[in-house]
This record gives sequence, C-alpha cells and structure tokens, in this order.
Amino acid sequence: MEEWHGYTGNVLRVDLGRGKVVIEKLDRAWPKLYVGGLGFASKVMWDEEPPKVDPLSKESLLIATAGPMTGTLAPGSGNIFWAFKSPQTGFWGETRSGGKFGAFMKYSGFDMIIIRGRSERPVYLYLEDCKAEIRDATHLWGMTVHEATNAIKEEVGAKEVSVAAIGPAGENLVRYASIINDYDRAAGRSGGGAVMGSKQLKAIVASGGCGIRVYDPERFLSLCYEAQRAITSDSGNMVMGMHGTIGGVMSLNAMGGLPTQNFRTGYFENAYRVSSDALERNYMIKRRACHSCVIGCSRYSYVSSGKYATPPNEGPEYETVDMAGPMALNDNMEAIIRFNYLANNYGMDTITLGHTISWAIEAYELGMINENDTGGLKLRWGDADTFLTLVDMIAYRRGFGNLLAEGSYVASKRIGRGTEELVNHVKGLELPAHDPRAESKFLAIQYAIGPRGACHEHPIYPSYDLMGVDAGMREVGLPWPLPDRLEEVGVNRGKAYRIIALFGEVINSMGYCNFYAATVAKGSLNPSRIARLYSSLTGIEMNAREIFEAAERTWNIKRAFNLREGLEKAHDSLPKRMTTPILSGPSKGLKVEKPKELVEEAYEAFGWDKETGYIKESTLQRLSLREVLEGLKSIGKVA
Amino acid sequence: MVKVLMVIPDRCTGCGRCEEACSLYHFNVIDPLLSAIHVVRIENEPVDAPVFCIQCGLCGIPGICPENAIYRDPNTFSVIIDRDRCTGCGNCVAACPYGVITIDRIERKAIKCDLCGGDPQCVKACPENALVYVEAEDAAYYKRIFFAKLQRKELVPIVPYPSPKPAGDS
Repeated sequence: MEEWHGYTGNVLRVDLGRGKVVIEKLDRAWPKLYVGGLGFASKVMWDEEPPKVDPLSKESLLIATAGPMTGTLAPGSGNIFWAFKSPQTGFWGETRSGGKFGAFMKYSGFDMIIIRGRSERPVYLYLEDCKAEIRDATHLWGMTVHEATNAIKEEVGAKEVSVAAIGPAGENLVRYASIINDYDRAAGRSGGGAVMGSKQLKAIVASGGCGIRVYDPERFLSLCYEAQRAITSDSGNMVMGMHGTIGGVMSLNAMGGLPTQNFRTGYFENAYRVSSDALERNYMIKRRACHSCVIGCSRYSYVSSGKYATPPNEGPEYETVDMAGPMALNDNMEAIIRFNYLANNYGMDTITLGHTISWAIEAYELGMINENDTGGLKLRWGDADTFLTLVDMIAYRRGFGNLLAEGSYVASKRIGRGTEELVNHVKGLELPAHDPRAESKFLAIQYAIGPRGACHEHPIYPSYDLMGVDAGMREVGLPWPLPDRLEEVGVNRGKAYRIIALFGEVINSMGYCNFYAATVAKGSLNPSRIARLYSSLTGIEMNAREIFEAAERTWNIKRAFNLREGLEKAHDSLPKRMTTPILSGPSKGLKVEKPKELVEEAYEAFGWDKETGYIKESTLQRLSLREVLEGLKSIGKVA
Repeated sequence: MVKVLMVIPDRCTGCGRCEEACSLYHFNVIDPLLSAIHVVRIENEPVDAPVFCIQCGLCGIPGICPENAIYRDPNTFSVIIDRDRCTGCGNCVAACPYGVITIDRIERKAIKCDLCGGDPQCVKACPENALVYVEAEDAAYYKRIFFAKLQRKELVPIVPYPSPKPAGDS
C-alpha cells in the first residue's frame, strides 16, 4: 500500500457508549472528491448522521477534522474544524479554531475523529503514536477549561500536548457552548461544546508522535518560503498582525458599521475606549500566533488590578470586543478583557453570549421583560457589572441565566411578548459584529444562506467589495471589478458570491485560516498557490479548478444536509433589523433593500431553485453527487 | 567569519514554524518531536521562546560520548553528532544544560542542531525575524546585552568593595 503524504491516512472512530475506538484507513478516492477538513466531514455527516436526530442525543455525531495542509509548514495552516448538528439552529453546525490542536491531532496520526454515543461517566480521549484510548475524566468534570487543561498536563507529565476541552458551559449544555483548545483558542459558534458535553466527553488530548510525511520536501519547502515572503510583505497582513482583528473597531465605527446597541445603530461614540489603541497601550503583553501562522493576529493581554483583574490570556478579538462593548453600550476595556477570559474559561461563544445579553437588555428597556423574569436583576445599557454577573449565571444555568443559556432565539420563543422582533438571527444563530446594511451586501447573502446561520467567517469573510481586493479569485472566474458594496441586485452579486463562498470552502477543506484570503492575490493564499502547495505536499495533482469543484461538492452536501433537516426558503431570510434603517452615525438610514432578490440571485448562481431554494437535479448530477440526489429525491426536495 | 544563531526574544509569537522547517529539512517529515529547535509556549504565562543549541560543546568533551561521535564542524563551528555512530545512550542528553538534545523515537538516535551546514532553515521559516544568523562579532555584542539584562533586577556583587582609604588621608 502506498504511503499517504500530507494526509495521515487514518480516521479514528470513537464509540463512547461502548467505550471502543477503531482506526480506519482513509478512502483513497476522498481527497480528489472532497479535499479534506470540512469536506470530509460533510460527507460523513450526510452518510452517517441520522436525519432529524436530536443533536444532544447519543445518536448524534461530533467530528473533529483537520485539512491536508494542517500541521504543515504551509502558512496559516494550523486549524481544527468541528462538524456536528447544531443544538442552536437544528441545522448544519461547523466551527473552526486555531491554536495547535489541529496540528497535534495530525502529528498523533489522525486526519479526522468521528465521535458517537454517550459515555456513562465523564471521559477524555488520549491520542498518541497513531493510537487512541478513552480515559476516565470524573475528576475533571466541573473544572473550567484552564483548570482541566492544567490538570491534564500534569497527569500526562513531561510531554508537549495540546488539549481541546469544554468548560462548565459545555457540561451544563448551554446551547452555544464552545470547544476550547490550547487554553484560549475557541471553536466558538454553533454549540459544539454542548454536543461534546452531552457525550460526557470532557477533552481530547493530542500528544503527537507520528509526524506528517511530505511528497516532495524540497519543492514544498521552497514553495512555503515563497508564500511566507509574499504574505508577510503584504501591507494588509502586516496591519492584521500589528493590530489584530480589534483594529477593525475604529475603522468600522468611522464608516458607521460598528454594531451598537443590539444593532440599533452602527456608530458608538466611545469606540476609542475599546479600540486596539486602548488595548495595546494599557493591557497587551505581546502578540501570539496560531500554529504555523505568519500573520500572528492574536493579542495576549491582562488586567493587573481592580475589580476586573484578569490573568494573562489570549484576546480579546474584534467580535468579542463589539459584542461585550458597543452592543451593550459598554466602554470599559477592562470589563471586556474579563468577559473574554470568563467566556473562554467557561467555554462559551462570546458572540452569541454578548449578543444574547444585549438582546435581553433591549427587551428589558422596552418593558418586554421585567424584574420578575430576571430574578430581580436590573438590566441597563452600559452596566458592565451586571453583564459579567450574567456570564456566570449563564455558564452555570442559574436563575435568569438558565433562560439566556438557550440563546436569544430560543429564549425569545419562550418569553414571547414581542421579544422575537428584537432577535437578530438567521436560522437561530445570532448575527456577528458585521453589519450587512453598512458593510457589504455580500454579507447579507452569506448571513441569509450560510449553512450554519448568520456568520461572517463561514465559509469566508465575504466583504471583498469593501476591501477592494480579489485574493486571486479572478483566475477562477470572479467578476471584476466587483459592484459597489451597497449595490444590491442586477450587478452580478450572486455570481460573484458563488466564487467567494466556494473559495471559503476551499480554505476550510484545506485546513487554512480565512485571514490568508483577505488581501491582493500576491499577498494571499490565492487559488493557484493553494493548488501548488497541495500538490507538492500530497503528491495528488489537482489544479485550482478541480479544487473548486470539490469545494462546490462540499457546499452542496451541506445544503442537502440542511434540506434533509427541514430547511425551507423561509429559513434563508434576514432578521427584521436588517431591513430597518440604521439609526445614527455615518451610515444612518442604510438598510438591506431587497433581501429576497439578493437571496434568489445567489440561489440561481449556485444552481438552486429560485422559488424553493432546493438544489436542482442538474447541479447534483454535474457534481456527481448521486447518493445525495437519491436522498433528496426520497424526501421530495429536489428541483 | 563564523556566524552565530541567535534569538530576539520579544519577537517570537510561538507559531512553531522553525520546528516544522527543521524536521522537514533533516528528516523529510513534519514533526516537532524530530526538531532540534523547540518553541516553548506556556499558554497561561507570557512565554513563547525558541530554545536551541548554542553550540557550547559541552556534549563533546571527552568522556561523555562513548562512541566519540560528537565533533565540532570547522566551517560552521557547530557541534555535530554523527548519527551513524550514535547508539542512543543518552549521555549527551544528560550533559546538555539547555535540554536541546533529544533522542528520536524511531531510530533511537540523538537529534541536535547542526546549523543546517551554515544555512539554518529555522531562520528562513521565522515570519517575525525572531531568529537571526549573525556574524560572530555582532553576536558578541548582543550576548553582552543579554547577560547585562540578567543583572538588571538585583545588585550583583561583581564590583570589588571600595578599598580602605590610603593611610595619612584626612
């Protein structure tokens, strides 16, 4: 049998109910069909996840998957992806994290881990030398992420290990619990931590021992150096490294696109207090980078004293700052750093967490909920202390926190009284801190049709019209120049978004980070560079066009998965606030004018039916997804 | 002039690319356990530090290697372990004060930095220019700064006490 290069060639299957681990060989046909990472995961989820299963039941799957490039010298490749059915949305759930866990999982000998079943008692999974074992974690249950990671490291002894763990939020099945690896790197959104918690799986520990073989070491090494030089000398990447994502606070505020007060407006007067400048001057210790990253956007910060004193930890990044800051009209940087630390340590998605609390504050202000609901808590804009109290209450599901632990979407359904109108969500996932009204209409499309709900990074950060760059996508057919960021229909937006979304799938399947596709062609991982790196690493010849076709397969399987779970066109719609004008600031009055037309234009570009949103038979045949076609036919959801 | 591998500690972000390049260059495999340079990251402390061999030669002094497999390369001044003769006894690992010699788990032989024959890959792979390969004289200047900084926090009695006043001085 020929050896694998780039891929480890092993898939680990874990049945926690039976306490069994099985190592399988990776299918030789899969790389050309699905590339890897979320591509493999989508295939497994379609084949093996029982339709309409409760995501927190023992029948559901949790998949950890790394791409072929993960853990190699290719810049920006240190990523781990998780796939599952989301307890937040009931649809496709996926999430990505940096750090070094993905790399270490591959060094331990596995491309993918497929977990099913529920353990009787808490356990953790230990990976080393292409072997795996299930170990008792009763003593770790109840610990925060940092405590559990410290305890595991002590237990393992003199070895370099990487730990992906859940905190109390995951154990308590908070619907938006995250899986946190390497202390502070969050696979945040969609509720993977709750799925992991429902399986009584506290952590996965990877300690390496196998390494990754390279097909053409000399060529791969020189290609990596070339890519590194190009990426590090690009000014956009330099700024990202220098100021991190939080650098976006001031620029987005200046254009009126900084989501503020639960998306009422896009401008926050005190934004300078929560800017990158404020962080760097007073609280930041150093920069950090994920495994194999040449940009290094991560901040490492602390608060030395006072009531928000926080030990050194990674963060906060832009999303967290906005969700705990402007969204709740809070301008206290120290409280934000503390919030980030607590959310990571309890293992919760900072976006949904901050957004849900902001929603509650607005509902309270409008009198839709009152002290009877909150258990006596007074919710006010800009009250950082109550904000932080709620974080604790949510993680442990205490009092009012028990309701907020369901996320704003489910919570509003339980309360009613008009609070549903205030929820900014698509498919149940709260909007992140990018406003499609002011920023880019690509965002409006992505929020509406994205497989995991409203997300600015899955499959990719799509505002190329705002950034004015193409990341090399012109070579695979991106219409250029792109329309003005505020123009909506009749400007090739659907066609352009198709290429952008598929590029995102390429990145997610390869194991790269999205930030490597946010500059000009020369300074990014453009499609042909990705293809060259991939071929020299794996020895599998694929050009950019073929890789994009594999990505389109993944994109459509995710769509099919959602259709099987009950997705209809109505789910692909933006919340009310997106069609309501922004209240103040430079973008005052802007809104999404034609949400329906935007979505339909994208449907047509992807080869989906305009009226129903179902995938057309011809599209599935073109991608030779025969089983998916049969599956969808049996439920009458093919157009 | 001979060059010296050095680190500018503030710059390291802990990405680990030096480890990957090192193992890929020497073993055609990407595996931090086969790397001669080690990035130590302590996640809950502000520590990201590449730790590597400073070519002190302690492992090469007579009596440590039973096979006499350790010698100094006259061109790069690096201390080299001849892997053909290495038996993996681990004496050099014990002798190394910095913990940068390891025994690989496949061949059971010692891994140690050889400066890639004068073209260190870790320097090429470092995106932050935290690792540098500089002329010995420049390196000596930076070494002095480094050791000076170690003395920053506390008074160290390396200056002789003032001598007693000369007799007859009022």
